[in-house]
Amino acid sequence: MSDVLDLKTLDDAGRAALERLIVTLADSKRLMGIRYSDWLLGAPSIETGISASSMAQDEWGHARLLYSMLKDLDKDPVPYEHDRASEAYASVSVLDEEMPDWAALVAAMTLADGALSTVLRSFSEGTFETARSRVPKMLAEEEFHSSLGAAWYRRLADTDGEARELLTAATKSMLPSLLAWVGADDGAAHAMVDAGVIAPAAAEKLSLKYRHSKDAEVISAVGVGMALGWL
Amino acid sequence: MREIVYDVFARKGRGDQLVHIGYVDAFDDETAKVYAWKTYDEENWFEMCVVERDAIIPVTNGEGHFAQLKRARDE
Repeated sequence: MSDVLDLKTLDDAGRAALERLIVTLADSKRLMGIRYSDWLLGAPSIETGISASSMAQDEWGHARLLYSMLKDLDKDPVPYEHDRASEAYASVSVLDEEMPDWAALVAAMTLADGALSTVLRSFSEGTFETARSRVPKMLAEEEFHSSLGAAWYRRLADTDGEARELLTAATKSMLPSLLAWVGADDGAAHAMVDAGVIAPAAAEKLSLKYRHSKDAEVISAVGVGMALGWL
Repeated sequence: MREIVYDVFARKGRGDQLVHIGYVDAFDDETAKVYAWKTYDEENWFEMCVVERDAIIPVTNGEGHFAQLKRARDE
């Protein structure tokens, strides 16, 4: 998409929708970073712990870049970053609680981080110029998260015991709400589609992108996507 | 599950030599790539590669690092 959005043309509802999109992505990135940081010391190996640490830093950096986009809407990002109660966060709900086991973190790495990347990729291809310039670097860093998530997901899915059961349970728990978020069909989602902020020009297509992403292929390893009619 | 040792090589700039900078334990090539990139992130590397240690063939029989590792492995 080549047209650049002139923010002055957005009405109040459109500005509110863009603010909501940015804050949801930023809050989710911040929470994703916290969930990675929860496993710095409990990861299965030193290398995995170091990777979790690095990914936590990536996510917090992405969150800061996203919060700063609020300046384009004449909003001060500082109160959003530092002065809100946790109840005010707009992050995807699957990140609200600590991951109870490594399998749940692997599921979040693949499903939640994957869903965020799907929406961010669309954001970077839309009409909001700041997203077009800043998001591609985030997505390049996310390639490593995706690779690690997929490798661990397959590894746990290939086992016969408790690890596979935990992975399956976490996947079943996370997938429906993430799919609902990615394929949101409310007024705010339509406002963003109409303004070209989210491309392609239909939230339904975005949902399909997620369904056909590399993450979906990985999830098929435990058959959960099939069971939920997702794949 | 068996972990594999991968040696990590990198060069800082286009014209620099590729040097051995360390190793990681990983269970496949994909995880080795991520672990290497995330562990040895002290430089903005121009190029980084990982090589399964078992695939490295020492040319000399001296006291070199990889020759010693191979001897220890073969014993």
